[in-house]
Amino acid sequence: MLNIEKFELTVADYVYIFTIFILVFIGLSAIYSASYQVESSYLKANFSRQVVWFLMGTFFLVITVVLPTRVLFAVSYWLYGLSILLLILTLVLNSNVSVSRWITIGGVQFQPSEIMKISTVLALARYLSFKKRNLNNIKELSIAFGLILFPFLLISQQPDLGTAFVFLAVIFPVLYWAGLPTFYLLVIIMPFVVLIASFNYYAFSAVMIFTAAMLLFFRSGLLVFLSVMIFNIIIGIFTPFLWSHLRGYQKHRILTFLGVEIDPHGLSYQIIQSKVAIGSGGFFGKGILNGTQTQLRFLPAQHTDFVFSVIGEELGFIGSVFVLGLFLFLLLRGIYICSIVKNKFLSLLVIGAIVVLGFHTIINIGMTVGIMPVTGLPLPFMSYGGTFLITSMILVGFVIHASIRRFRY
Amino acid sequence: MLTNFGRDAKRKQFQFSAVIVLLFIIIVIRFFYLQIYKKAQYLKASENNRIREIVLEPTRGLIFDRNGKILVDNHPSYSVNIIPFEIDKTDTVITLVSKILQMEPEEIWETINKKKTGYFTPVKLKRQIDFETLSKIEENRMYLPGISYQIEPRRNYPSDIRASHLLGYLGEITREDLANNAFKGLRTGDIVGKKGLERVYDKTLRGVKGYRYVEVDALGREVKKLTDKKEVPPQPGKNLHLTIDVNLQKSLEISMENMRGGAIVVDCANGEVLAMVSKPDYDPELFSKLITQEKWAGLLNDPEKPLYDRLVQSLYPPGSTYKLVVAAAALEERKIRTWDTTFCSGSYLFGKETFQCWKQEGHGRIDLLGAIEQSCNVFFYKLGRKIGLDNWITYSKNLLFGIPTGIDLVDEKEGLVPDRKYLEKRYGKKWLPKGLIVNLSIGQGDLLVTPLQMVRLAMIIANEGKYPKLHLVRYIDDPIIKKNQWTKIDTSRVIDISHKTFSIIKRGMYRVVNGEHGTAKAAYCRNVKVAGKTGTAENPHGDSHSWFIGFAPFDKPEIAVCVLVENGGSGGKTAAPIAGKIIKYFNIEKSNYAQH
Repeated sequence: MLNIEKFELTVADYVYIFTIFILVFIGLSAIYSASYQVESSYLKANFSRQVVWFLMGTFFLVITVVLPTRVLFAVSYWLYGLSILLLILTLVLNSNVSVSRWITIGGVQFQPSEIMKISTVLALARYLSFKKRNLNNIKELSIAFGLILFPFLLISQQPDLGTAFVFLAVIFPVLYWAGLPTFYLLVIIMPFVVLIASFNYYAFSAVMIFTAAMLLFFRSGLLVFLSVMIFNIIIGIFTPFLWSHLRGYQKHRILTFLGVEIDPHGLSYQIIQSKVAIGSGGFFGKGILNGTQTQLRFLPAQHTDFVFSVIGEELGFIGSVFVLGLFLFLLLRGIYICSIVKNKFLSLLVIGAIVVLGFHTIINIGMTVGIMPVTGLPLPFMSYGGTFLITSMILVGFVIHASIRRFRY
Repeated sequence: MLTNFGRDAKRKQFQFSAVIVLLFIIIVIRFFYLQIYKKAQYLKASENNRIREIVLEPTRGLIFDRNGKILVDNHPSYSVNIIPFEIDKTDTVITLVSKILQMEPEEIWETINKKKTGYFTPVKLKRQIDFETLSKIEENRMYLPGISYQIEPRRNYPSDIRASHLLGYLGEITREDLANNAFKGLRTGDIVGKKGLERVYDKTLRGVKGYRYVEVDALGREVKKLTDKKEVPPQPGKNLHLTIDVNLQKSLEISMENMRGGAIVVDCANGEVLAMVSKPDYDPELFSKLITQEKWAGLLNDPEKPLYDRLVQSLYPPGSTYKLVVAAAALEERKIRTWDTTFCSGSYLFGKETFQCWKQEGHGRIDLLGAIEQSCNVFFYKLGRKIGLDNWITYSKNLLFGIPTGIDLVDEKEGLVPDRKYLEKRYGKKWLPKGLIVNLSIGQGDLLVTPLQMVRLAMIIANEGKYPKLHLVRYIDDPIIKKNQWTKIDTSRVIDISHKTFSIIKRGMYRVVNGEHGTAKAAYCRNVKVAGKTGTAENPHGDSHSWFIGFAPFDKPEIAVCVLVENGGSGGKTAAPIAGKIIKYFNIEKSNYAQH
């Protein structure tokens, strides 16, 4: 029998839940608007499907909130292992297809990579919350990295580079939160900076000089200094070589981001049309169901990845800032919860969830306004898509779960 | 490490929050930039996305003859357009279209790339498709986003005259024309006049395009008509009412059948051209239907040069017809009186050269009128020497040789009067051949004229100095304001030649047709007194060109004519009968003329 815990829901928690519902409702109306004038009956049903998923998501959210913390703690590794299996299964089952992101089990079709986000956050939180965990120990640090490396590699094989990068993005803030010293953090992050800078000779040199300066500032030993420098130089030299092994569309996506608007009909067509939709919305927007870009379907993915452009066009600057405000509240309160929660596992769980949600939000909205690459990451609570909506609800469920148990150890 | 977790939690909360707030601020700034700072630009872009401008082509003006008979009107035909933007997304459209239009996909791509002016601006793929093709496109409309057809009238020629050079033809606008201000507002693929009246009056005939605006979706399908952007109706082109008389034109065309040359009949009183024919010509329908590459090349490379308007664009030596100019110079300069005679032995020895008269046995003793009547060369050799080169040049210029007539057709040549400057350049400054003037006085040598200039000379003589500008359009009628805009008759007068001189020359010309020994008896008409002058212009390329210029009736001239037959031999034998026939015909026809 479950030990019923006593919850302490404050006004802020109610506001928090209310905020999530508002976001989902705005998202639903955007999906409705985007599918309003479509002939295809399948697309027309987008709205009702999303409503069903929202109800399922709410159910999962409630479950997440009411489950005792120790249950979450207990299932985390099992769930992680299960998710890895599902990812492998996805690859195996879809080995004859070029893109394999979906799996159908018991008539339910879903994306294992989304579930992986939840279980990785859980597993990482559990691993790092261990009392005697010493992140100065290279072996223990490596295991933490391994936890994200598996999903990263498996998902990038699907291939879904955008989602794979979510896992890379999660590890650093979580490690830092868990107490990884700034010096190590910088040493770990540096290769990724080098990765990007390596295509430009000057940028590469500047990064290397910065790295050297940083190493000197932290008074590292000669051995560390040399090995870090050499490692980064090797990365800098091999990246352009590895670049040629990326898939065409992956390259294209990155290139599109770097050289925006070179071809108005490839990928950057989406960015241009998204910017046109948002820009033409102006201050007050064109009104719901009145956005010409949306209604006339100039934007291909307007109900999924580019759902924010519908909001930008139909609700204008006012509406966009309002929605951004809601997201900001969601994220900032999450971080606040992390800092006051007494239980380390919960604190790490919430920071992981917040980083995943924040990363999606910033990359997705940044993409629709043309300041981030087109990665194919959906917008939490708003983009059409069942698995991700439910995932987002569970992640935000962790925050509420922690919030109402904030004084427990 | 985790031991001090609680202690720096506040610091880390601040750091994390700061990073997120910073990123959100950047995004909000971006929204501000797009939605407020750049709003106008993006709004315009979204309007351009959604609003498609459909050009409403005006109907091209019609062309009538002087009696209101239709010479050129319009027949409907269909052309196929493609929107480049749609094609960039899918190749299947190109494949299907290439099958329907029976064009190679490469050809379609080439057309698109060549004519593309914008992603959403339609490009004309094929003009004048047949009904079967049209219905195939209509059938497959679902699979052909971005493909549309448009009614595009083509020129039709209901009368039985050809008048090819005069009417001209239409064609797709060239890049040079697009840059030209006269064609402002036109786009690639638009049809404009290329030659003849279609070219000269293109702006008048063309009308003004109208526009209709529709809302289209991302697939280019029309969603609805726009109410907020008003339709601008096209303005039809204005109609031309020509000076040409279709019956006279037909008769002249028949007379000139199978010849190489040109003939023109003008109204002496106002310079209206009643008929003008250049042969060989071509069927104007050829250009109104889609002309094939081979046919076009065939016309261009035909050694007979059917595209050439010989009345306007070709230069010939005038031969003996030019004796009239020499006679006028001599009379004005008082170098001769009508009763002065000279002896023609059949040849004329000058320096070391012998110049022949066309009549080997000679004309014997002959006076000025007789010399004109019989076209005696020797008489004019001597007369030419009497007046001298400078007078010859002066009177040539006074009678407007070397100056185009300014007729409303394109590419008119100005001819060549060899003046001192030209001759010195050609023969050197020190020594001009003395025999030069001898040749020039019978219209040979370096002198070159157009048939138009010769008919102007006939008109000047008939009017005794007055000459209205030659023109082809009587009036332009504007179907919108229902008002006729009449062509102003622009009459001038030649300088320094008296009525007396002209009347003497006219008497000579009368004898050419009516005299016992006249060279142009073939132009004689029973009911109307004709006056004229023949010419047989030698040319180095073959048989002599046959000339006749004249006017009728003698007492009160109404029309002036000029007939030129390339390599036609003697003027009296070939050109004169054609002139006679047309004058006879005019005499019957003139009762039908619309007066204004």
